[in-house]
Amino acid sequence: MTIQFKEQTLNLHYQKAIYWVERSILFIADLHLGKAAHFRKKGLAAPANISKTNFTNLEMLLDEFAPKRVLFLGDLFHSSLNNIWEKFSKFIAGYPHISFELVEGNHDILPVSAYETAKLVVYPEPFIIAPFILSHYPLEAFPDNLYNFYGHIHPGVLLEGFGGHQSKLACFHFEQTQAVLPAFGAFTGLALVKPKMGDRVFVIAEDEVIEVS
Amino acid sequence: MTRKEQIAIGTQFFEQRGWTPFPFQLAAWKAYLQGKSGIVNASTGSGKTYSLIVPIIVEFLAKHHKKKKLPINNGLQAIWITPIKALAKEIKVSAESAAEAMGVTWNIAIRTGDTSSYERTKQKKKPPEILITTPESLHLLLAVPKYEEMFKNLQTIVADEWHELVGSKRGVQVELALSRLKSLLPNLKTWGISATIGNMEEATAVLLGATIQDNNWTIIRSKIKKKIVIKTVMPKDIERFPWSGHLGIHLIAEVLKVVNDSTTTLLFTNTRNQCERWYQTILDHQPDLAGLLAMHHSAIDREQREWVEDALHEAKLKLVVCTSSLDLGVDFRPVETVIQIGSPKGVARFMQRAGRSGHQPGATSVIHFVPTHSLELVEAAALRNAIKQGNIESRIPYIRSFDVLVQYLVTLSVSGGFDAAEIFEEVKKTFCYESISPEEWHWCLSFITTGGKSLDAYDEYNRVGLYKGRYYIANQGMAKRHRMSIGTISSSPTVEVKYRNGSKIGRMEERFIAGLKKGDTFIFSGKVLEVVRMHNMEVRVKASKSKRAITPSWLGGRMPFSSQLSEELRHQMTFIQEKAFNSPELKKLKPLTELQEERSHIPTADEFLIESFKDREGYHLVFYPFDGRHVHEGLSTLLAWRLAQQQKISFSIAVNDYGFELLSDQEIDVDNLITPKIFATKNLWNDMQSSANSVEMAKRKFRDIAAISGLIFRGYPGAFKRDRHLQSSSQLFFDVFQEHEPDNLLIKQAYEEVMQFQLEEVRLRKALDRIIGQKFVIKKLKKATPFAFPIIVDRLREKVSSETLKDRIQKMKLKLIA
Repeated sequence: MTIQFKEQTLNLHYQKAIYWVERSILFIADLHLGKAAHFRKKGLAAPANISKTNFTNLEMLLDEFAPKRVLFLGDLFHSSLNNIWEKFSKFIAGYPHISFELVEGNHDILPVSAYETAKLVVYPEPFIIAPFILSHYPLEAFPDNLYNFYGHIHPGVLLEGFGGHQSKLACFHFEQTQAVLPAFGAFTGLALVKPKMGDRVFVIAEDEVIEVS
Repeated sequence: MTRKEQIAIGTQFFEQRGWTPFPFQLAAWKAYLQGKSGIVNASTGSGKTYSLIVPIIVEFLAKHHKKKKLPINNGLQAIWITPIKALAKEIKVSAESAAEAMGVTWNIAIRTGDTSSYERTKQKKKPPEILITTPESLHLLLAVPKYEEMFKNLQTIVADEWHELVGSKRGVQVELALSRLKSLLPNLKTWGISATIGNMEEATAVLLGATIQDNNWTIIRSKIKKKIVIKTVMPKDIERFPWSGHLGIHLIAEVLKVVNDSTTTLLFTNTRNQCERWYQTILDHQPDLAGLLAMHHSAIDREQREWVEDALHEAKLKLVVCTSSLDLGVDFRPVETVIQIGSPKGVARFMQRAGRSGHQPGATSVIHFVPTHSLELVEAAALRNAIKQGNIESRIPYIRSFDVLVQYLVTLSVSGGFDAAEIFEEVKKTFCYESISPEEWHWCLSFITTGGKSLDAYDEYNRVGLYKGRYYIANQGMAKRHRMSIGTISSSPTVEVKYRNGSKIGRMEERFIAGLKKGDTFIFSGKVLEVVRMHNMEVRVKASKSKRAITPSWLGGRMPFSSQLSEELRHQMTFIQEKAFNSPELKKLKPLTELQEERSHIPTADEFLIESFKDREGYHLVFYPFDGRHVHEGLSTLLAWRLAQQQKISFSIAVNDYGFELLSDQEIDVDNLITPKIFATKNLWNDMQSSANSVEMAKRKFRDIAAISGLIFRGYPGAFKRDRHLQSSSQLFFDVFQEHEPDNLLIKQAYEEVMQFQLEEVRLRKALDRIIGQKFVIKKLKKATPFAFPIIVDRLREKVSSETLKDRIQKMKLKLIA
C-alpha cells in the first residue's frame, strides 16, 4: 500500500517493511536473525528452517523494490554469534550494489569484527536522513522538523468485530511525531499497542496491508 | 511364619487401638502378603492408609522374625505417592504410629517440592524405609545419578488417591516411573488407592500397565457406603429469581440461616472469584462472624491456608468459604455442614464435597445446594438421581502424551544416560504408550538430540547427545535447567502479592496484575488492597478502606457438565414435559417451565429443541442438546463451520451446559439448512480440524505441551540475565511449527487433546448420533426464552467464519483507548 507522507512516497509492504520511493531506501525493523538457531543451541527446539523464511522474505523485497540502501532499525541479529550470521553475510554479499546499514538495537551484541566482515555499515542511534530520524527505540526528544521511524516494539493491534470477535494482527502504527514498524523476523511475537484518536494504523492481513480506523 | 500369623500381627495392632479391621482391610493385607498388586477402592477417612501400611510392615517383620533383633537402616522399602502435599503429613503420622506400635524402628520421610536440600541430601545418604512423595519429586529422584542404588531394596509403590492422578499427566508420570522401577525390580508390587470412579477397571489397567497380563492382581472394594442427603436452598419467589448468573448472592439470608444453625460449615464455591465475593458478602451481612470466618483457595499463601486448616481441625472456625482447594486432603472432623454454591458440574465432585461432613461411622452426610439461577434447580434433582443410581464419572486417562515422554527421556539422560532400546521396551509396557510406533519413538529421540527435523549440517542444536550407545544430557547447565522444570502442572505465570513490610498474602495471575496500576484497589484474600508498587514478579500493597475495589477473576474455573449429569438432566426435562413434578426442585420451578412452554417448548428425551429470534445484537439460533459445555463447544464449532460452507458468514458462539447459541449478523435459512444432515458424523474429524476454532483450542492446549516438553524456558529464581534471549511464548512456537513443521508430534498431540478432552470426541459422536434420531422442534420466536437467556448473555465467545480476513477486517473496528 502506497501513502504520501511528509511529502514523500512510502510503500508499506505486507512483508513488514517500508520502501521510501524517492530515496530508494528499504526500512526493516527487528529481523531477529539467528533467534531460532540461538534457541536451538540452548536446547529449545525451534524449527531449524525458520531462518530460511527470513532470507526468502528478504530476497523477495529486494527483488521487488531493487533498493539502493537497506536500513535495519535494530535487532538485526538476535544474540551472540551463531552459524546464521555467516549465512547472512553471504546473502548480502550477493547484492553488491545495495548498501546494507544498521541502526543498533538492544539485541545487537555482535563483535564489531562480525559487522566488518559482512561489510555492514553500523550507526549508533539516532540516524538522520531528513525528513526522517531513524532509531531502534522510540525517540523521546528530537527536532520538530523530523519524523521518527523506529522498531523494538513488535507492534500488533486488536480489531473488534461483531459479536465480540477479535483479531490480533501485526501493524504499522503512525503517531503524530513517530511511527513504529512491525517486526520482520519470522520467529517474533506481537505486543499490543493502543492507538489514540488521530493515529493511523495499517494492519497486515495475510498478503495485504489495510488501513483500519 | 504362616499367612494367618502375619495377618494376626495387623489385627493385634488394631486391637491395641480398640479397632476392628474392616473386611476390605483384611482382604488388602492378605493380597499384599501374597505378593499381589492391585487397587484398594475406598474413600477418604475409611482407614485406607492402614490397608496397605500394615502389610508393608508385616512383610518386613515376617522376613526377619527369626532374628533376635530387627535390622535397622534397611533402605527404601516403600514409596507412597500422593498427589497432594497436604496429605503427606497425615500419612506420615499414620505410618509412624503403625511402625511404632508394631515394633519396627523405621524412618519415614516426606519428599516434596518443599523439602529442604539438607533433608534431601540426608535422604540420599541414608534412605528412609518409607518415602512419601509426589509424582514430580519421584521423577526428580530418577534424575539423580545412581538412583538405582537408592531403590534396590524397594518392595512396593503405592499410588494414593489414584482416581485423582489417573485422569492427568501426573498419572502418566507415575506410569513412566513405574515402568523404570519394574524393570529394575521385577518383583515390585504396585498398589493404588482410589475412590469410586466409573472406570475402575481401566484405572487399574493404567496403574499396572502390561503386568496386568500376569493375572497377579486384584481390586478390593470397601463395602462402606455413605448416605448422602441433598437439601436444596429454595428461593422464596421463583418468579423473581434470576434466569442467569453464577454468584448466588440472592440467597444469602437462607445460607446464613444454615450456617448459624450449625457448628462448623464448609461453603464450597466453584471459582476463586466467587469465593472472594461470598466471603465479603457474608461479612457485610453478618459482621459478628469476623474471627470465626475464614477463606481458603489456591491463590492464598500456603502458611495462611495451613493456618485455616489447623483452625478447622481445632474447631475454632464456624465457617470456611473455600473452593476445590478443600475438595481433597485431610479430613476435618469438626465439619458438620456442607454448602455448595452453584452447580458442582459432576456427580463425583458433589459426593466428595458432601462427604466432608458426617464422619462418624453410619452418619449421614448432608449437603445444602444453593442454586445461582433458576435452571440450576433441575440440576439438584438430577444430582440426587445420579447419586441414587451410582452413576459416577469416569476419569479418562491420557494416552500418547509425547510431551511427558520427551521430558522423561531427558530426565533419564540427566542421571547417567539411558539405552534407547531398553527404555523403548519399558515404555511400550505402559498403558499410555502401548501403541507407540517405532517411528514415533524415533521422533522423540530425534526431538531431544537434533531438535526435530534438521536438514542443515551446520545446525547447532544442543540438548541430549549419544555417546557410546547411551544418551546423555549435553552439559551441566542444561541438566540444572531440566531438573528445575520437571513436572506437568504448568500454571499461568503468577506474581507474589506482599504487604509493604514483605509479609506474603498469596499469588495472583500476572494477567490480572498487569491490568492494575499504582493506587488501584482490588479484593484478594478477603482484604481490600491498594497497589503501592510493582516490581519484577512481585506487587507490594497496603490495606485500603476504599469501597470500590475489583475482584480478580482467575483463568480456569469453568468446569463442564459430566456426561452422567447431562444424561440425568435430559431425564429431568422429560419429567417436566410429562408434568411429573416429582421433586421439590421441579415443583418450585413450575412457573418458569410454564413460561418456557408458553413462549417456546420443553423438549422430551426424543426431541431436539432449536429456537431462533432476532434482536439488536443480530440473528440468534439457540440449540438445546443438554450435553454439557465441552460437547456443546464441539457441536457448535462443527455446526457453525458446516453452515459457513453454505454462505459467506461469521458466527459468534456462546455455550453453556444446557445448550449453545450461534449468533450472526446475517439471517440463516433455518427451515432448509437446520436439518439432521448437518449433524452427520461423516467427515467429523476433518470438519472439526478445518474450523479455525479448533486451531485456537489446540493453541491453548499447546501451552502445557510446550512447557512439559521443554520448548518453553520459563526462567527460575537466580537465572542468569542473558537467559532473557531465550524467552518466548508457546503461541509463537505453535505458529512456527504449524508453518514449518506441521507433522511435529507435539502439534498433533495438541489437536488430539482437543478432540479427546476438550471437545470430547467420543461423547460428541454419541450426541450427534442421538440428535439425528431425534425429532427437530424449531421455534421461531419474538424474544429470548428462560432457557435461552443464560446462554445469550455469556460474553466469553468463540468465532467461526468463512469470510476472508480482509472481508472481516473491513467490518471491524480498532480497539481505541479512551
